Amino acid sequence: MKTVFRFLKPYRRLCAFAILAMLLDVAGGLLVPKLTADMINIGVESGNLDYIIGKGIAMLAVTILAGAGALLGSWLCADLSAKLGRDMRNAVYEKSLTFSAHDFSRFGTGSMITRTLNDINIIQQSVVWCIQMVLPVPAVCVMGVAMAFAIDTAMGFLLIGVTALIIVLALIVTRRASEIFGRLQQLLDRMNVVLRENLTGVRVIRAFRKEKDEEKRMRKSFEDYAETSISANLLFAGLESTAFFVINICIVVILWLGGDRIGAGYMEIGDITALTEYSILILFYIIMAQMVIILLPRARVCIRRIQEVLETEPDICDGKNGAGEIGLSAHAEDIIVRFDHVSFRFPDADGYALSDLDFICRRGETTAVIGGTGCGKSTLAQLILRFHDVTEGSVEVSSMDVRDMTQEELRSRIAYVPQKAWLFSGTIADNLRYGNEGASEEEMRRVLSVAQADFVSSLANGLDAHVAQGGTNFSGGQKQRLSIARALMKKADLYIFDDSFSALDFKTDAALRKALKQEMADAAALIIAQRINTILNADQIIVLDEGRIAGIGRHEELMEKCSIYRDIARSQMKGGTSHGRE
Amino acid sequence: MAENETIQYSDDMDLEIPSDAGMTVKRLWRSMGRQRVRLVIVTVSVIFYTILSVAAPVYSAKIVDLLFQEIRAAVSGERTFRVTWDPVGREIMVLLLIYTVTGILYTFQSFLMASFAERLSLELRTKISRKLDRLPLSFFDNHKTGEVLSRVTNDLDKMSEVMQTGLLKLFTAVGMVVGSLIMMFRFHIGLTLVFLVFTLLSMVSTRFFAGKTLRYAARRQQAVSRVTGQVEESYSGRAVIKAFNREERSAADMREAVEELAETSRKADFMMNAVNPFIRLVNRLGQAVIAVFAGKLLIDGVLSVGVFQAFFQYVYQASEPLTEAAYMINSLQSSIASVERIFQLLDEEEIKPDPRQGTGNEAETSVIKNASAAAMTEGRVEFRHVKFGYSPDKLLMNDISFTAQPGQKIAIVGTTGAGKTTLINLLMRFYDVNGGQILLDGRDTADMTYGELRSNFGMVLQDTWLFDGTIAENIAYGRPDASREEIIAAAKAARADFFIRTLPQGYDTRLSGDAENISAGQRQLLTIARVMLCDPAVLILDEATSSVDTRTEMEIGKAMNELMKGRTSFVIAHRLSTIVDADLIFVMRNGDIIEQGNHRELLKSGGAYAELYNSQFESTDQ
Repeated sequence: MKTVFRFLKPYRRLCAFAILAMLLDVAGGLLVPKLTADMINIGVESGNLDYIIGKGIAMLAVTILAGAGALLGSWLCADLSAKLGRDMRNAVYEKSLTFSAHDFSRFGTGSMITRTLNDINIIQQSVVWCIQMVLPVPAVCVMGVAMAFAIDTAMGFLLIGVTALIIVLALIVTRRASEIFGRLQQLLDRMNVVLRENLTGVRVIRAFRKEKDEEKRMRKSFEDYAETSISANLLFAGLESTAFFVINICIVVILWLGGDRIGAGYMEIGDITALTEYSILILFYIIMAQMVIILLPRARVCIRRIQEVLETEPDICDGKNGAGEIGLSAHAEDIIVRFDHVSFRFPDADGYALSDLDFICRRGETTAVIGGTGCGKSTLAQLILRFHDVTEGSVEVSSMDVRDMTQEELRSRIAYVPQKAWLFSGTIADNLRYGNEGASEEEMRRVLSVAQADFVSSLANGLDAHVAQGGTNFSGGQKQRLSIARALMKKADLYIFDDSFSALDFKTDAALRKALKQEMADAAALIIAQRINTILNADQIIVLDEGRIAGIGRHEELMEKCSIYRDIARSQMKGGTSHGRE
Repeated sequence: MAENETIQYSDDMDLEIPSDAGMTVKRLWRSMGRQRVRLVIVTVSVIFYTILSVAAPVYSAKIVDLLFQEIRAAVSGERTFRVTWDPVGREIMVLLLIYTVTGILYTFQSFLMASFAERLSLELRTKISRKLDRLPLSFFDNHKTGEVLSRVTNDLDKMSEVMQTGLLKLFTAVGMVVGSLIMMFRFHIGLTLVFLVFTLLSMVSTRFFAGKTLRYAARRQQAVSRVTGQVEESYSGRAVIKAFNREERSAADMREAVEELAETSRKADFMMNAVNPFIRLVNRLGQAVIAVFAGKLLIDGVLSVGVFQAFFQYVYQASEPLTEAAYMINSLQSSIASVERIFQLLDEEEIKPDPRQGTGNEAETSVIKNASAAAMTEGRVEFRHVKFGYSPDKLLMNDISFTAQPGQKIAIVGTTGAGKTTLINLLMRFYDVNGGQILLDGRDTADMTYGELRSNFGMVLQDTWLFDGTIAENIAYGRPDASREEIIAAAKAARADFFIRTLPQGYDTRLSGDAENISAGQRQLLTIARVMLCDPAVLILDEATSSVDTRTEMEIGKAMNELMKGRTSFVIAHRLSTIVDADLIFVMRNGDIIEQGNHRELLKSGGAYAELYNSQFESTDQ
């Protein structure tokens, strides 16, 4: 709730005006029956047509005023909703940018997308509904009852009674309904999950001959959903029926009691219409409000989910030191990266993902990291980029602890090719400019050629060729080469290639590495790889096994003394050696 | 309601026109089954309800007039009027009776309808779940998951909503409007005409608004797509954004897209919000005009006070349904279109039924018999002049023949689209051949039941499908009766035990959603464990180890070799190192087997395989 108010705060006046406009509408709705009643009461008695016309004009005026209020209110609500959604989306997105990889993974990409889009949408809708349908309710009740009192005290009390009865009824139903609706939402999600599994897993399901079981599983989820839907429907049917019945009883009572009161001279015949209208109006608003209130728990969940995002303290904050001073020493120093007894554990994990890593990457040298799935290779790269912070020890880039620099300063020194070659929608040139904002076309072409991505020039639009979201219109190998080119556009001290050659065929891989060697003569390279051939010629190879360094050295040394490295090599070279023997 | 890929707006109206509404309605009527009786009862109830609702104002008019007269008489007679049983009280009680009966009828029909629509959609959903079993694989390959999903959930929910409230409303509305108009005409023709003029006005403006709303909603939808794309892209690519220090730029791009969405939403929302107040305004203006006219008639003595009030009650009763009609027709139309899509799905062509009947039990028992069935099957697989194409007029495979002897390891290599996976599709009878035969132990697979055939195969695919359940449940998918020890043994054999133990809840860890809690490689290990547990006669490994690294691959390979011992196995792999020991290697191109033999023979022959193989090691020469 606090979160919503925080976002509403700048628009306090807008909110106030919207509520006022809605009240104008309500007041109009209540005045019209009063004017009609007057028409009957006085007009009929006096037989004065002018009076009736006068009242008619007043009625027109009230109607137009109320209509204007309602229309204005609609506009103000739309405006408020638009601004609220915009501000919340921007806030969530900007917050997400400060998250570390771990912060973000706690939410997950899918969930973050839902939060940014759907959740905020539901919040917007709920706020508007509250202003339009819930907030006017007290006003309607108070005004309606007040008008009834103005007609006759007894009638006023009657209306208070009816209003209270309906409110109690609505409250009871609301409590039951929120619970049912919560369950309904879960069952709907469940139904979606089961169905999706059945659609995407059809081969596995059939291979395991599980069709009948899956059918049962689907039917179960359908039945649960239907059952709960029916109980929700029954509840509403009950509420509606009771409410209308209460109103009808109310009309009968108004007629009977009203007759007495008219007879006694406290009110007049036309007032019966007005009173009937008031009670119907009150009922109508309460029921509408109740419908909205039932949907509010859903909004509350969404608000909580947004709040979680906004209140997450980023794991990683910028260091205090200015960037200027390191700039000087950086050039003097040959050591680009130093891992000083680094251990790393994910905050929610029991075991260490990386333990006691200790090594150095020098300018002009290539360091390779090899090891099995889940041995922590990518995590190692992410520590240098400070996507995570070390648990023990320290990572230094250019002789400065990464935690002491700003993230911007740190990352400006590093060019990174992620494991998953991700391209952004736009053109190829747009993507290349990620590495260097003001790059010339020649520069781009040169780098593309280094990255063995000359295929670009054969595309219809060359550098301006369209890139679909995620780069899906390019093959895996093309994406990797473009992603490498993007990194090469950037002048950096350190180039990190996180398993960036895996989708390339062996020829391209070799040519690329040759070209890279010249390109990066003046920088350090860190290559994470699975293929031995990719790293054969590295200046040092780090063999990771379950987060530890199992061996470090050149290929020949490791072949001799590191059994794990030998295993990896054998698994990939087996064919090669037998081929050699033939 | 659902958390789908894009934002869903409750007010998004899509003007869908069903192609054959009459036919669809007829079919829907037939699917209602016993529920039809319910609908008939409801209809009868609605008729009485409407008659009584229309009658009620007449009665209240009578009472008001009676009151008015009595009071006047009392006033002129200088006495105080009190409501007594005779004559007013009795009439009020009759009115109460009318109200009570309408109330009971209303409750009755609402309760009957409360379950009507849901039962109908449950019926249709159950039909769909049965249908999904019998749809050919081509259906799943050719339809987007989201599209089918939305038919089963959204389309049916839409229908059920319309049926539930809309149908009842429509019934009563028609009766109400007709009844009210008749009564109004009887009271006063001129006044009724005035009313009709204003109603027409509000109907015209409804249509006008509907058109505009549609246009603005479309524009907003575009903005939504843009924001959706931007958000998906930025979240998926956030490592790149951060690594390249692009946070500021990315936030600015996002602000721009979000601003556009705010801009278009404001207009679309306003249009949507404004419809009702606007119509109300028109209606109220009409009422004011009617009030003045009616007032004059009242003075002239043409109308009585009671009729004056009754007339207004009819005005309320009739104007609302009339202005709602435009929307109601739209939603009715689109719900029929939804139902039509459901029927289309139910009409999809089905796979050939099993050759022997009574498959219901068989599918279940074969799971249990699985182990023994596997033991009995030798695993000789033979393709005889197989012809196949995904569309019959465009054949992919022209003539494939080969025999895999029991226990042989068959490797299939070739570029994407060469037909490797197609071979598996045919073997499993996910697709049926267009010509020729596939034999298992000398029996034509087309003569076996699907259950019988598939009980002999174990499959590990590149696409790692796991369901929303615990790890243990997923491993035991093919053998739900397996003990925990067996599950752990299978996991150990698949080298998955280690990572499972590091998870907070071990084997009881729930894999939910897209299982972001475990990596792609780990998912693959689980699917391998799943097959290990089933112990099938023939193994199919379709790029099974593509997402694990070479060393893990080798480790799994050891276990796989153990598993493959004595079993025929088909291996599709893009890393040739894993298949050099295969007994038979097929090199496929454009749906045909262009080379076959073992590693040594193929290398010696110096064909496509040798070229492919040697390209791997060229780089080492440098």
